[in-house]
Order: sequence, then C-alpha cells, then structure tokens
Amino acid sequence: MEITRAAAVATSFAKATVTREVRYRSVLAVVIAAIGITGDYTRAQQSNLPDIEGTWVRLDTVGAGSFGAVNALTGNAVLTPEAAAAAAAGRQGGGGLRPGLVADDNKPHAAGEPYVVTDGSCTLPGGLEPNSSAFHIIQSKDEVLIVRENPGLHRTIYMDGRTHPDLSRWRPTVVGHSVGRYENGTFVIETVGLTPGGVPGGGRRTADTQLTERYTLSADGRRLTMTYTWNDSKIYQKPHTYQIVAERQPADSWPFEDWCDSGDPTQRTSVIPPKQIP
Amino acid sequence: MKREITRSLAIAAAALLAASAATAQRGRGAGPAVAFDPHDISGYWELSFDSRHVPPAALATTVTPAFRAAKRKQDEYATRWCNWIGMPAAMDATRPIDIRQGRREIVMNFETIATPRHIFLDRPIHIGKDVYDATTMGDSIARWEGETLVVDTVGFDGAKGLSAIPGGGFRTSDSHLVERYRLVGNGAVLAVTFTWSDPKVYRTPHTYEYRYYRAPASYEAQPPIWCDPFDEARTAFLAGSTSRGGGNQPRSPGAR
Repeated sequence: MEITRAAAVATSFAKATVTREVRYRSVLAVVIAAIGITGDYTRAQQSNLPDIEGTWVRLDTVGAGSFGAVNALTGNAVLTPEAAAAAAAGRQGGGGLRPGLVADDNKPHAAGEPYVVTDGSCTLPGGLEPNSSAFHIIQSKDEVLIVRENPGLHRTIYMDGRTHPDLSRWRPTVVGHSVGRYENGTFVIETVGLTPGGVPGGGRRTADTQLTERYTLSADGRRLTMTYTWNDSKIYQKPHTYQIVAERQPADSWPFEDWCDSGDPTQRTSVIPPKQIP
Repeated sequence: MKREITRSLAIAAAALLAASAATAQRGRGAGPAVAFDPHDISGYWELSFDSRHVPPAALATTVTPAFRAAKRKQDEYATRWCNWIGMPAAMDATRPIDIRQGRREIVMNFETIATPRHIFLDRPIHIGKDVYDATTMGDSIARWEGETLVVDTVGFDGAKGLSAIPGGGFRTSDSHLVERYRLVGNGAVLAVTFTWSDPKVYRTPHTYEYRYYRAPASYEAQPPIWCDPFDEARTAFLAGSTSRGGGNQPRSPGAR
C-alpha cells in the first residue's frame, strides 16, 4: 500500500516537474523577448537569479549551538572609542533585556538551583539573523520574504527598485527597512532603520547603521552562506563582518508551528539546571 | 514643425497623466497600471467595508448551546492571552495581507498576531496525520485549475486560536477548507471563496466569498499592533469592566 502511494507521489512529482520545465522554458522565452525589446536590466537579472527559495536551518559549525559561543562565528567588532565607551556603559546599566526576559543575570547556576528567565510573554520581537528555528525564503518578483517558524517580525525585502525611506519619518524596528538586488548570482540585501541595540560579536547599531547581507548558494544548492557586514563610522573602526551558514531542508519537509501560550502557567516555569555529567 | 513638437509634447504629457492616474487608482479596484499575470497572486491585499458576502451557515444538530459556549470561551481565551489567531481569522485582516508566490510555495504574511500561512504548490498530497502536528493554519496544498488557484487545507488544531467561522460554525480538528483564488477586475481584485466542510459542524458545506483589493504598489509592510497579555487595562476592557488605566497601550514588537 505504502509502495503504491509512494509510486503515485513520484509519478505525480515527475509530471509536475515536466510541466514546470515547460513553463520555465516559456517564461525564459518571454524574458529573453522582453530584454530584447525593452533592454530592462531588472528582467535580465531575473533569468540569472539564484534559487534560494525553500526551508533553511542555521548550521553552526562551532560552539555546539550555545549562545555564548556565537562570538566564535562572528569575531569581535572593532569599535570606535566612543562606541566602546557607550557599550561599556550599556553593559553596566544592564543593556536592556529582550522583551519577555525578566532575570537575565548571566550568572552560572548550580544544579538544582531554579531561576526564572521569562515572564511568559510569547510576543518575541524577531530579528535579522536566523535563530534555532527554521526559516523560509520566498522569492517573488517585487519582494523576497524571509519568515521564521517562531514568533516575531518577519523580513520583507523590497525588490521593486524603491529606496530606503527618510529615516526621520521611520519608526525603527528589529528588522529595519530592507531593499534587495541580485548581483551575479548573489542575493544582496541593504538594511537601515534598525532599533538601537547589540550586534553579534560585540557590535552595536543605531537606526543609521547600515547592514549589507550577501547570500550565496553553494554549487549543489544545499548550503546558503549569509555574509553580514555592518557599516557605521560612528561605531566601527572598520566594517564588522561575519558569516552564518544554513542548510536546505528536504523538499518534502513542512513548517512547524512554534506554539506558545502566555496563559499557560508552565510558560513561566523556572529553569532548573540538571546535574552535570563530569 | 513647431506645431508638430507641440503636438508630440501634448501626447507625451497625456500619456504621463494617464499613467500616473492609473497608478493612483491602484488599490481602488480600478485596475493595475501594468499587465498582470493571472497565475500570480503576489501583492498586498486588503479588505474593505464591502468586501464580504457571507450567507448564514447550515449548522449541524451537534452544534448545541454547550458546544457554542465552549467555543466562545476558547476564542475569549485566545484573545485574552494574545494567542496566534489562525484560520479563518487571519484572512479577515484589518490590515493588508502580504501574499508572495514563489516557485514552490506561496506565503501569506499577516500584520496581526498570526503565524504565516504556507501553501505548497509542489506537493500533491497532505502530510500524513500520523506525523503532522496540527496547527492553527493547517497544512495547505494548492493547484491551478485554469486561472483559479485551488487551495486545500486540513490538519487544523481545533483547540487553539480564534475558531469562529464567518456566517456561523467553528474551526475544529476535523475541518476541511477549500479556497478558490481568482484575480478579477483586471488584476486589481482578488476574489476568494472559502468552503468549510465538517460533519460535526455543518449540515452542508458552508461557502462565503471575500474580495480583497490590491493595495498600492508602494505599500510598506507595518509591524502588527503589539498585543500585551499582561496589560491590565486591556484585560479589563476585554472583560467589560472599567479600568483606571485609560485603555490599551498599542506598541509594536521589535520597536521596543
């Protein structure tokens, strides 16, 4: 029975692939015609755009996935003296907690010693870099969407040629305002308008800080290397750059719903560190 | 010669005016400025006061007062605690819905407390019940029938989110939803029929139609209005009691 079902799926998939192939060829012909007629550079890029659409999971090759080891990936930002002083002052003052965290004391806790890290809020802010949840990239003509499988703002990257807004009229967010383009097979995102805060590797950012991301697909299409470069002469002595690699999930995978209920008392349950194995 | 130049300038000016007028009309149902692809529903889509045609549902006898009360209580809980609202509430958005169609998947992103909808174009069958964890959005697959996109959804979690269905009835774990999306009005309007089947809720399949207007191409996505489950003034408001706090404190996630 299972074999029959698998065979039916395979046949159906093969038919769909052939249909898609025919449709892509037709689209390609139309695009070539359009280039010939209009000389539209944007459309020329469309035929060369990398296929980064799909489900991805961050692949940390160092640090065993711990938060503290992220700097091994990112290196340390070289801050201006003014930015370094501001960062130190921020650390002294607590630096501001992520919404929902109530006691981020950053101290080690003995096995069995309970401590509370969340007020139970499920409305996390989201962010730029992928976290431990899978994320989906969808490429449409005018826009690329990057959505995580957990709460928070998702990323909208405008591909229609618009420019960044006047930042004096923009309310900063954790994902900012992003515009994108394709450059020789690389997806390039420019972002400004971010909320002030920290950047991996000891960096800082303000609404004026500019982030450039370059997404490059491996030859086999299974790995996506995302290079982050932060530029702000008021903060960095040199651009702060690091890379995160993601792995493509199988085509038959599906999204999870990372359910969270603030009304559930266990959502506020203390963390109790287990006994460590020597 | 001078007359020719004047005439050419007049024609060019008229063309520019027509183009700008067409652009200005986008989002009013007057038609997009450029030719549209009937097989691409990408865009920002919003409902208006005249967008809904919802007949009353023919409810099954199993929809008892106790059943209704339990579902109403569930929806009150979801609202009180800012739970993800799910289907069909997400499609009843008060803000534009961002629909993006890729090669293999369509994603709908909502400016409200909802997870994105994922609609798979390259998967002909649903994920098996034995491995799929039910969600507020369900498992959606789609196919094109001519110029109509048919979206088939099962795998709902009936116990989470807002369950009320327009016209009567509720989303349950046995609900089956078929949506038919079609671009009309020269691509300026997205007509969607929703058909819910669920023998525990409906005597006959319940169908209603929404018409979404295409938002201007220059639209910028906005963060959802912040929902704070620990805002006492909001909680008092929802409970219908008076509050000294003066009301809700709308904020945006990520803008804190």
